[in-house]
Amino acid sequence: MEAKLKQELIETFGERLTKAAKMYLDNCSRCGLCIEACHAYASSPETRYTAVGRAQNIRRLYEEYFKKGKIAKKLNEAVELDDHWMEKVYETAYTCTGCRRCMTYCPFGIDTGVIQGIAKMLLITADQEPKTLTMLADMSIAKAKTIEKTKENFAAAAKNLEAEVLQRWRSEGGEEVVPLDVQDANVLYVALAGKHSIIPAAAIMNAAKEKWSLSYFEAVNFGAFVGNPAKTKEIAGRIIEEAKRLNIKEVVICECGTAYRVMKHMSGEKPFKVITFAELIARYVEQGRIKLDKSKLPAKVTYHDPCQIARQGGIYEQPRYVLGQLTDNFVEMTPNRQANWCCGGGGGLVAMGEKDFRMKSAKVKADQVKATGAEVLCTACENCHTQLSDLNEHYGLGVKVEYLSDLTAKALVQD
Amino acid sequence: MVNQIFYLITVPMVYVAVAWCIVGIVVKVARVAKAPAHPFTLKVFPDKDHPVPSPVWGALSMPTVRRHNPTFWVFLILFHLGIAVLILAHLDLLPWFNIYPEDSEHMIGNGAVGVVVTTAILYFLLRRFASPLREISVPADYLLLFLLFCTAMSGDIISWANSWSENGFVLTKQDFGAYLNGLFHFSWADPAEAIDGGHYVVLVVHVFLANLFLMVLPFSKIMHTFFAIPLNKLRRG
Ligand code: HEM
Ligand code: SF4
Ligand code: SF4
Repeated sequence: MEAKLKQELIETFGERLTKAAKMYLDNCSRCGLCIEACHAYASSPETRYTAVGRAQNIRRLYEEYFKKGKIAKKLNEAVELDDHWMEKVYETAYTCTGCRRCMTYCPFGIDTGVIQGIAKMLLITADQEPKTLTMLADMSIAKAKTIEKTKENFAAAAKNLEAEVLQRWRSEGGEEVVPLDVQDANVLYVALAGKHSIIPAAAIMNAAKEKWSLSYFEAVNFGAFVGNPAKTKEIAGRIIEEAKRLNIKEVVICECGTAYRVMKHMSGEKPFKVITFAELIARYVEQGRIKLDKSKLPAKVTYHDPCQIARQGGIYEQPRYVLGQLTDNFVEMTPNRQANWCCGGGGGLVAMGEKDFRMKSAKVKADQVKATGAEVLCTACENCHTQLSDLNEHYGLGVKVEYLSDLTAKALVQD
Repeated sequence: MVNQIFYLITVPMVYVAVAWCIVGIVVKVARVAKAPAHPFTLKVFPDKDHPVPSPVWGALSMPTVRRHNPTFWVFLILFHLGIAVLILAHLDLLPWFNIYPEDSEHMIGNGAVGVVVTTAILYFLLRRFASPLREISVPADYLLLFLLFCTAMSGDIISWANSWSENGFVLTKQDFGAYLNGLFHFSWADPAEAIDGGHYVVLVVHVFLANLFLMVLPFSKIMHTFFAIPLNKLRRG
């Protein structure tokens, strides 16, 4: 490794040393409590798949470059940063999904996600991050620059969805079926680049007679997956600007956990509220604005808590409340809520492909789903949905993986 | 020569160790306090079944350990409570603290607390030799526990050794009290003059190891004493 690059990497590391990061790096007692917490270790018991093992890859660099004393360095197994060690850094960054389940085991609450963030930033600085993620992040940013030119195409595409939305819910006359650019709307709905994330949502919001507007931008934040704070901010910033321009009351993030966490918790103060689509559905049901027909879902249903809205966002009960209106045959996974196992697809792994690792590291998830005996596996996150579908196929679980929004839209009572 | 070394350990080195420890702690805490705040919340959300407890309770009672490794938790609690009692017991040696009566021969706990702490340390040490903990431990982890074990063990020997002689106690609460009181008032007196038990050398070893421990503390993971609560506060939000 060139001396200049090494210097840059050490500086990058130094810039990430917030109070929290320093405390996380200084105080791990290597008690090993977090070992059992990680789905990757539970599925494939290797030291490199433990939270503390991953953190040690970064902590040992910290000992070398940010601590003094020759003897202390030896005793703490400090290591030099070189090409070989960058492979370890990569392991820390991309065998961890950032699910933060380990944080609920650690007596100190050490957040492996923060340490993983340092690893991801080192990879970016060394130009060794997964290029797919950077490319996708750059595309999102580029879209903001050309938005005026592409608006027409987007409007035409939205128009094309109308027929399918109307199949789910007959909107009353004079209303836009998929409205765009609605000034002073109550809701700015931020979807993903796929009609499955727009059609059910549109039907539900139309059924609730909501004054809503579809965002021009997709919710997903590849900047966050690749661990680049500047890009993360820029990608979220497009939506924030749009919401400000339209004077929106509430930004509703579609079923995308990372997008929700970034918008709700990582983007500073905003002049609007941020909620998940699951919360919006729950509110509609509660206020009687939509009615659901239980006969549409005659199967045993279970629910997977997506880490980024549940453990990281506190959205535990709203999806369960909605499911309670959709079926009488609901069964919890064990463990669930804060203790739920991660699906194994977070942190960018789904977008990167990585199928072998994803399947190997999430066996415990597959077993957990199987043990419920459910026929329908519902979730509220695109990333989880993809991973769970892959697990379903790989482990022959024989379940149907469904979005909460889709199940809801299919059960709308047409009055 | 030996007497001089003993004197160096039991008097000047104690001052150096205590000063070193305090300065070290202040510097280490200040460095963290000066670092920028994390740009976003690191909270983990609670739910009805498992409320994430408040930072102080979470740090002191370690509910996550209790839930996921009850045996380890029992030893951790015994150890930490034991350390707290031992700190108090050492202060109680001073003549103006009198939790145990002034004329008592024993220190608080009659030596039992030390045994509990020693057992816990031994457990911490042994578990590190077993997989998977072995793979994640670094040499500093073993050495620190070994140092603590030797410190605690030498303490245990001092209290046990009091039963070695025919006529019972040789080193009593008052003897230690006189030594600590001298240190406290910077008398620079040689404790060997006041304390004449046959196992005086064990006391010197105990003091030496304790000095070492104090000097290592600011550079070790025992700094969690000061960071456990702020760390739990991050999780609590
Ligand atoms: C407010 C004060 C303190 C709190 C909240 C606290 C908390 C904890 C916690 C949560 C652990 C579990 C993690 C682990 O197993 O290492 C632990 C371990 C430990 N603590 Fe403390 N602690 C405190 C003070 C101290 C003090 C004063 C000492 C001094 C001897 C100490 C020595 C240790 C040791 C030796 C371990 C076990 C480490 C190992 O297993 O290798 N702690 N402490
Ligand atoms: S954040 Fe999740 S994936 Fe990463 S180490 Fe912790 S438990 Fe494992
Ligand atoms: S549980 Fe916490 S303190 Fe223990 S090894 Fe894991 S990260 Fe370190």
